[in-house]
Formats: sequence, C-alpha cells, structure tokens
Amino acid sequence: MQKRAFFLLLTACLMTSVSVLAQEGHPLTGTWSGDWGSGPTQRNHVTLVMNWDGKNITGTLFNPAPDSTPLGSVVLDVTNWTVRIETDGKDQAGKPVHISAEGKLDDIGSAHRKITGTWTQGSTKGDFRLTRD
Amino acid sequence: MKRTWFGIFTASLIALSAAIPAVSQRPFSATYDNSRQIKLQGTVTRIDWVNPSAFLFVDVRDTAGIISNWAVEFGSPLELERDGWKRSSLHIGDLVTIEGIPARGPTRQASAKSVVLTRSGKKLFTPPASRRPVSASAPAPRWPDGQIRLGVPSGKKGYWGTANSKVLVETKAAKIPMTEDGLLINIADADKVAPFLPWAKAVYERRQRTLLRDDPLARCIPPGGPRQFQMPNGFQFVEQKELGRILVLLGGGDRNWRVIYTDGRPLGQAAEAVPSYYGTSVGRWEKDTLVVESVGFNEKFWLTSGGLPHTEALHLIERFTRTDLNTLKYEVTVDDPRTYTRQWTGGWTIQWVPDQDLQEYFCEDNAESTFIR
Repeated sequence: MQKRAFFLLLTACLMTSVSVLAQEGHPLTGTWSGDWGSGPTQRNHVTLVMNWDGKNITGTLFNPAPDSTPLGSVVLDVTNWTVRIETDGKDQAGKPVHISAEGKLDDIGSAHRKITGTWTQGSTKGDFRLTRD
Repeated sequence: MKRTWFGIFTASLIALSAAIPAVSQRPFSATYDNSRQIKLQGTVTRIDWVNPSAFLFVDVRDTAGIISNWAVEFGSPLELERDGWKRSSLHIGDLVTIEGIPARGPTRQASAKSVVLTRSGKKLFTPPASRRPVSASAPAPRWPDGQIRLGVPSGKKGYWGTANSKVLVETKAAKIPMTEDGLLINIADADKVAPFLPWAKAVYERRQRTLLRDDPLARCIPPGGPRQFQMPNGFQFVEQKELGRILVLLGGGDRNWRVIYTDGRPLGQAAEAVPSYYGTSVGRWEKDTLVVESVGFNEKFWLTSGGLPHTEALHLIERFTRTDLNTLKYEVTVDDPRTYTRQWTGGWTIQWVPDQDLQEYFCEDNAESTFIR
C-alpha cells in the first residue's frame, strides 16, 4: 500500500516537472500518440508523426495498419486551431480504408499538447485523443 | 514505517525541485499588473541579493492588523550596484515604504518603483529609466594588425552589458508601441513586427494574448538566438586569433558559451547539425564588422521577448560592429522560410561595462524567492 502511494506520488510530481518542457516551433511538428475508437472499451492505438516543411504538413500514420501510411493531407486552421487529417490506409485486416479525423488542438504552449476530436475509418465512427510526445 | 514515509517525502522533494525552476523567471507582463499601483509599508525580514533579480521580503500589517509577508522584486543586482546600491544598503529590521506594481492574482508580490527608508526618508531605489547612458568617449580598440577588438584588452576588465532593446522588430518597421518585454499595446500591430507565415502569426498572437506566460525563459530555458544578447547580465567575447575562433561567454545563460569559428571552415547544413540553443557558427570580418552565420538551432526557445517563433530551419546572419569604445551595434537577419515569408533584419545596440567582470548567473537562483510562495 505504502509502496503504491510512493510511486503514485513520485509519478505525479515527475509529471508536474516534465509537462512544462515545451517545443516552440510549428504546433503540429513532432510525434503524436494516443488512440481512437467507437467507445471506451473499443480503443485502437494510433501513432502519428507530422512535420511542417514550410508549405505543407506532411506525416506518417503508424497505426492501425500493420504498415505505416503516408498522410494524404493535414490541414491546420489557425483561426480556431482545428486539425483535419485525411488519408487512405489499410485496416487491421489489410483492406483499403479511408481515414478522416478532425479535432481541436489544445494546450498549445505545452510540448505535450493535445488533439481531440472525431475519427472516421471506413464506415466506423468514433473519437480520438492524441498527445504530442 | 518511518523510513518508508521519509522515502516518500524525500522522493517528493526531489521531484518537486525538478519542477520549481519551471516557474522561476516569468516575463514582467505575465507576472505584474501594470494597470495597478501598490504602496506597502513594513519591516524587512529577508534580502535575496541574487541574479537575475534581487528581492526583499517585508512584513506588512493590513488595516485589520493582520501581518503578511510580501516579496518585492527590485531589479538586477548588477544594475543596482552600478547605481551605487550595495547588498548592505538595506538591513533586516529596517522599516521601508515601497511603491510599486502588484503581481497579477492573489500573490503577495510586487515590483518596486521606489524603496524609501521610512524613518530617515532616504530613497534607496532608483528606477532604471532614470539612468544615464554611457557616453562614447574613445574610438573602438584595435589589435596590432588593425582589426577591431571586440573583447577586453589584456590587463583590463569589462564586458558587454545592457542592450537598448529587449525585443526584436524588423528595422524598417515604424515604431511599434509595446511594453519593454515585448507585449504589443495593440495586437493588430503583429503584422508590423515581422513578416510571419499565417501559423507563425497565430502562434505569436496567442503568446501575446496569454501575456507571454509560456515564455521558455520562465522555465529557465537558455536564451538562444538573438535573445542571448539582450540579457541583463551581458556577455563577453574572448578572441582566440591564433586558434581561429571567438568564444562568446554568456552572462545571462547559466554560464553558457558559444564558439564562432573564424578559421574559414564552411557553415554546414542545418539538417546535419545537432539542434541546439546557440547553433553552430562561423564568422568572417567584413572591414570592421564581424559577420556570423549560424544554423542548427532547436525549437525550444523564443527568438526574443514577445514570443517570436522559429523552426529548426532557422539560419541567422549576425553583424557585430563596435562603433566606439563603449558601443556595439548588433544587427541580425532572420532567415527561416518555414516561419517567415522572407528574410528580415532587426537589431539594437549594447553598452560596454568597464572595469567589471561578468557576474555569476543561475536562473534557478530566483526560484525560491518568487513563484513558489
């Protein structure tokens, strides 16, 4: 019990110190990880890597397909900090599927900024949460 | 049992100590409410004579008779010493009257505009605005080969101190109203500061609207890029001509340094460099001006106060011209096509501080005095 309390306390304190480190460049550049799903028990891990090249936001989707997929398009609307991602990938079974995600970028001043919103993969709709590593 | 809880306590302290520097040196506008004034009268209980800001702590009794302890920031010890202040000018137990600007929110903290010894009426604190600039008294010193000397001659002391601006604005822009720490009076002036790409303008405006609270300097992140030459603790050049390099000793960055190679080596590519706060630099002399090009910057710092963004594609061209003994003209061209629509140039001048050495500066030294109250 005490050991558990110790680790909980230590983890909470360390998270406090880590969360203030920031990356100050383009808000989407970096590695993002999280999950998407149609409900709390139906979650699928997602890893995205995005980069701003001066004209476009390019990137790669590492999940849910077995192989990585280049992102078709990523659009950041800086008037309301919304992000729209479109790509054609493959599902877990390897079948072609269109993926569309639209979310809101929050906590922009932090390195561990977040995107949350809706995720559509083929005919399945759900929500997603991504946190910048 | 006792050992276990001692372990929890110790681990928590270690973890918290890692978090504390993260809140230790906020921009003035994020910390203080310039629209309000405060007058405090009380007894000095503690004096923290540390860089970057000296603090005194005062017990103040309110109208209900309740005593509370206030932290009062009263400037850089360097500048205070230049104005004749000494650590011993004020003593614990002195009764003082302070006029200043209170902190935002409920924090019992203020920035002093004046500190007066209540009993004698002696004014101890002089605001920086009333200081006289150093006058140009002699031509810039030169090496035997005729080249301008940026550093201190053998047997003497001195360093480059206060810049006449804490912000970076495109030189050709008209004067833009903003606070000393770069907060625009009118946010619509953002376009005049620099030729931002849309995302960069949005980020800059967001930083402005949040009163610069995310300033990396507030987390004791080093002042990379041009900002290294705007820190109150100054910097020093050490010219090693025989080794083909110039060292820049940075007084405002936790004893950081930077190397400018003047041996003719190529600059290299940004993508090949390990991203860092000060980048990799090569320099050359164009008549009396040292021209320095740098690439290889990380994205963890702001270019200056006010929140100018950049990316790892940043390429800086800096020009250092010692126009006389006491004046260094600094001009920087910002070349970052991922952040700005074109190259742009800004700059400022920096005053020589004679007969003194760079002082020790560790950002974390202010952590205890200020924002953990």
